[in-house]
Amino acid sequence: METEEHVKLDRLDADVARPTSIDPTPSRSEGGFVTHQPTIDSGAAQSDMVVRPLRHPWRLASAVLVVILFVLLAVSLATNHNMNWGTVGDYLFSGTVMSGIVVTLYLTVLSMVVGIVGAVVVALMRLSENRVLSSVANLFLAFFRGTPVLVQLIFWGYLGFLYSRLTLGVPFTDMHLFSVDTNKVMTPIVAATLALGLNEAAYSSEIIRGGILSISRGQTDAAYSLGLTPRTTMFRIILPQAMRVIIPPMGNEVITMLKLTSLVTIIGGGDLMTNIQHVYAENFQVIPLLTVAAIWYIVLVTVLSVPQAWLERRYGRGHGDRTVARRGTLRLDRLRPRARGAMEVAR
Amino acid sequence: MTADARREVVVRAVNVHKAFGHAEVLRGVDVEIRRGEVCCLLGPSGSGKTTFLRCINHLEKINRGSLMVKDEYIGYRRRGQHLMELPQRKIARQRRGIGMVFQHFNLFPHMTVLENLMEGPVRVAGVPKLAARTRSLALLERVGLAEKAKSYPNELSGGQQQRVAIARALAMEPHLMLFDEPTSALDPELVGEVLDVMRGLARDGMTMIVVTHEMGFAREVGDTLVFMDGGRIVEAGHPREVLSNPRETRTQAFLSKVL
Repeated sequence: METEEHVKLDRLDADVARPTSIDPTPSRSEGGFVTHQPTIDSGAAQSDMVVRPLRHPWRLASAVLVVILFVLLAVSLATNHNMNWGTVGDYLFSGTVMSGIVVTLYLTVLSMVVGIVGAVVVALMRLSENRVLSSVANLFLAFFRGTPVLVQLIFWGYLGFLYSRLTLGVPFTDMHLFSVDTNKVMTPIVAATLALGLNEAAYSSEIIRGGILSISRGQTDAAYSLGLTPRTTMFRIILPQAMRVIIPPMGNEVITMLKLTSLVTIIGGGDLMTNIQHVYAENFQVIPLLTVAAIWYIVLVTVLSVPQAWLERRYGRGHGDRTVARRGTLRLDRLRPRARGAMEVAR
Repeated sequence: MTADARREVVVRAVNVHKAFGHAEVLRGVDVEIRRGEVCCLLGPSGSGKTTFLRCINHLEKINRGSLMVKDEYIGYRRRGQHLMELPQRKIARQRRGIGMVFQHFNLFPHMTVLENLMEGPVRVAGVPKLAARTRSLALLERVGLAEKAKSYPNELSGGQQQRVAIARALAMEPHLMLFDEPTSALDPELVGEVLDVMRGLARDGMTMIVVTHEMGFAREVGDTLVFMDGGRIVEAGHPREVLSNPRETRTQAFLSKVL
């Protein structure tokens, strides 16, 4: 296939080259148009005409302008003494920043796990024919989407004010399996995981529900007709296909979560942002330290986009037509405009 | 019915009623289909043929009457004069013996052709993967698509997809096959290859119920032709007879439009 196409393309190139070498009549004008003597208007001459795409001079002008503005901004930042690049360098790989990054990543992963597991449960509850289950799921959604995550975070952090002890036992009796002091259990990490995770569950459940709804009824029919149970159908047929729709917005959620973890500074979570704040509270180098934080958040977000691309490929299997089309376009783009024009004429 | 009366009855529908909300789609369907019979269901759109077909493997619940496949109520268990709906797991078990082919193929797009065929045997019937693989490849050979085993459904033409869908249903070794307008979504030049596979199945003695608009197929392969209209069976008989000599005026009116 490949070689055949190349052969064809070479032939096209040869066709384009022919008018200048063999046919003596056309002469080239400055614009690159092939002009013909008015007397010669045979069918053969018409078929040799070369098509030129429209020129876009303003594209070049606007590009130059934007590059100049960007360079000016970069120079101004680089030469500003208040920026204190030395301090940025000093703290970029410091121990306190590194330990903050570990906590930030750890918190992101933990909250996302709670969030995604919760989201699948809430989504399936909302889709359930059981009215009570779907109503409870709606209430969960209303509460966790309706209140700011900052409020939820502080709420979990101060749960001890509401319940001083957490007990697992038989209701209305003194029998219990265990009982603990709330403040001992509710460390900043636990509170943050609960707040961020449950909030995430509410938002992601809608993404997952949308993904499930995007799969046609026919898929369920086909699975049922083979004798698959509803549960197997959901986990083998529906969810794997829904993943293709779920992953792109979920990638967004992971990135948002990574940055949302900075909120735990409010309950002393020990994450990247908390540690940065501790440092600039002491040395007043606010801007350089915020720059350190910004650099690391950008790096982490960029790194997190890699598994997303991999997952999209993994779950895009069987939907290859789009990538095939893209490959086709690329190949067309690689052709020199002359050859492309010739192809259009040939048609 | 024209099929051999000594053969056992595979599908027995008695007074089947079905309504979607207030819309009555089936208003008392009675039909008997025997082993090895090819029954073609014909009728204008909205006549209830597809709904009736979907009731046979309980993709739709019936509201009244009874539907038995091989002396088993599908989706229900009898208790006195009541039919009690079965739990999903038991219904799934009953569906194993009933293959179904859909108008829009409904192949699983995230699986290769081979995986599509293996899904039922491996997940439902508990066939070991290697055995399922061998059998699936043999089935693909039978529908003439052995070389497409590793392809994904979207890389196949409509006709090829429908042949894979037939092979997928056959992989469960059903005793009854339901076809819901299997060629309606196909380009005209691809209809033949699908009908050829179905013809082969009929020759091998498969019991088939086919909702179709392919009069040629019905005439040539069908043992019975059932004409439905308004949720009832209007006329049934040997295809050649019904098609060339319809008794009911509604059948005549329909045939004059489509033939």
